[in-house]
Amino acid sequence: MRTGELLVRRLGLGLAAVACGLLPGILAAEASDNKLALIPGGPHPYFAPWEQAAADAKRDFSIGAVDFKVPQEWKLNLQTELLESLAAQGYKGFGVFPGDAVGINSTVDELNSAGIPSIALAGCAQDPTKVAFCFGTDVYNSAYLGTKELIKGMGGKGNIVHLAGLLVDPNTTLRKNAVEKAVSETNGAVKLIQTVADTDAQEAADQKINALLAAQKDEIDGMIATGYIPSVVASKSLRTLGDKRIKFVGIDDDPIVLDAIKDGYVVGTMAQNPYGQGYVAAYVLDLLVGGSCTVKDDAPWIKTPQTARFIDSGTLVINNANLTAYKDDLKKITADIQKSFKDKYLNCK
Amino acid sequence: MTDQGVHEPLLSGRRLLLAGASARIGLLAIVIMFWILFSSLAPGFLSAFNLFTLGRSLAIDVVIGFAQMVVLATGGMNLAVGSIGVCAVMTSGYLLQILGLPIPIGILGALVLGGALGWLNGFAIVRTGVNSFIITLASANLFSGAMLILTKAVPLNALPSEIGAFGKMKVASVVSPLLLIALGIGAALYVLFRYSVLGRQILAAGANSRAAAMSGVPVGRVVILGHTLSGILAASAGLMVVARLGAAMPAVGGEEWLLPSFLGPVLGGTLLSGGTVAVIGTMLGAALVTTIRSGLLVLQIGNFWLQLFLGLILLVAVLLDRYRGLYVERRRLGRQ
Repeated sequence: MRTGELLVRRLGLGLAAVACGLLPGILAAEASDNKLALIPGGPHPYFAPWEQAAADAKRDFSIGAVDFKVPQEWKLNLQTELLESLAAQGYKGFGVFPGDAVGINSTVDELNSAGIPSIALAGCAQDPTKVAFCFGTDVYNSAYLGTKELIKGMGGKGNIVHLAGLLVDPNTTLRKNAVEKAVSETNGAVKLIQTVADTDAQEAADQKINALLAAQKDEIDGMIATGYIPSVVASKSLRTLGDKRIKFVGIDDDPIVLDAIKDGYVVGTMAQNPYGQGYVAAYVLDLLVGGSCTVKDDAPWIKTPQTARFIDSGTLVINNANLTAYKDDLKKITADIQKSFKDKYLNCK
Repeated sequence: MTDQGVHEPLLSGRRLLLAGASARIGLLAIVIMFWILFSSLAPGFLSAFNLFTLGRSLAIDVVIGFAQMVVLATGGMNLAVGSIGVCAVMTSGYLLQILGLPIPIGILGALVLGGALGWLNGFAIVRTGVNSFIITLASANLFSGAMLILTKAVPLNALPSEIGAFGKMKVASVVSPLLLIALGIGAALYVLFRYSVLGRQILAAGANSRAAAMSGVPVGRVVILGHTLSGILAASAGLMVVARLGAAMPAVGGEEWLLPSFLGPVLGGTLLSGGTVAVIGTMLGAALVTTIRSGLLVLQIGNFWLQLFLGLILLVAVLLDRYRGLYVERRRLGRQ
């Protein structure tokens, strides 16, 4: 082959490779110069996937910038100061886990007045609110499915304990109701003997769960945790005890919980979809910025005690059967939500 | 008072006056330097949006600083500033939302409660003779606990819309009316400490309570009044937070106010040992802290650095306070 011909062929291959790399982005959306930010309430491992989601959304939808910014502590004023400073720097849309469901509203209102839309992510703002909508886990459904999985793992009978989050959190009430409903459907075969609340902090979870297991280990046949930290703590405690008799279903996919599932100490865990929340939120914010798209009033919103505009970001049970494949399942859920979002929830010019 | 000279009842020499003034000028120069630095590095720092929010945060921090300053002047401290603030927040919410009372009554009720809680602190300190640190540490938990029991930690978010609208109002496009209120409170405190007998009695009691008592100053009554005033100021800051959020929330105030309550006055020149106040200095001190906080955020210097900087500022403030204390002591000995 002549040198010139070789050069042309190599150049052609190179160009084709570059084109293949860029094509998905070009096809996916028109490039925008919008600067968007995803902001959790404070540092927490649950939100870690938002960082990758932000980077992927920036690339896939050709958005100017999608940044993941974490307030230094779980304090509302630190979150609002961060939001205000980002708005001052020219950020045009925010996906926010509200540091406080009520307290965030005045800031969101001000941002909205300045033409900056916000979406409540992973947790909702209390109505009346100016957030476009709330996109998170349907906590009732998740707790219900998790309890059903636990009951199945227990062989349909026995005593269970619910390790719940903060009692003053409205989501805790929903989760409590969901657990009670799943238990009531067993017609007395399964009994909820205790709900241990306020376990979503490391020290509290350590003390309460270990005290519970020390005092009532023999009376408990199953446990369900509906918070990230009690899931991890209970998984560790059961492994330390070497107890595979007590069945346990947790929430989220911390490696400690996943390892405990693999080794048989934990029946399963309810996966949430934080990656999907961040990814879809960035896509939607990019559409909402500038007003070319607006949120439909008559979309199929789910009504919750906090808001009349809720969208479920998806949930599924992780157990030994899908331990290696659940991430693909979550990606599929995310892709489905993203593809249908525009038609289902938005009016676009 | 420091804004006119350090420790006026005992030391009112021209040199000290100049020393106090130069400290404030130095602080002002540092604030201006940071403004130039931040605005040149991050154009967003001078945006109307940032100036408005910065001014609003500053207003609240200034009044929180005042609430601590008036007790520092008596030689004590008030660790219950945040607890009194949140009690006032929830009281205003209860009066306005649950009882549906007119806004002026709601505001007055919250201020009266703040004053009453401050009075309780002062009364307990004077009657028991126990250090204000201990009494206010205990009462901070007592007040917060009672508030949580009574409110069940449920926020009140259906206040009259005028409250939230006031918090969002802009004067001349960038100035929050809350900042004007803070300046008004500052002016009133300036007059109190500069021109009134009560103000001078507070400073005298704080400088040397025994000498003040021998000079006929009713030290106990003055300490109680100082704490009452602190309670009213803490309640004022709480009401400003209510306007800022448009809701009465049990999660505000508390320990979060402790650091700003000390930073403003101490940076501004109020001695921790009592006997001096620095009204303008407190405003400048709060301005420095708010400026640095806002600037670091706008510059996107990692959010986690903020805590480090605030800690450093407090350390510098305490060292300055120590230096000022030694200076005053030396002058005092020099005059004896």
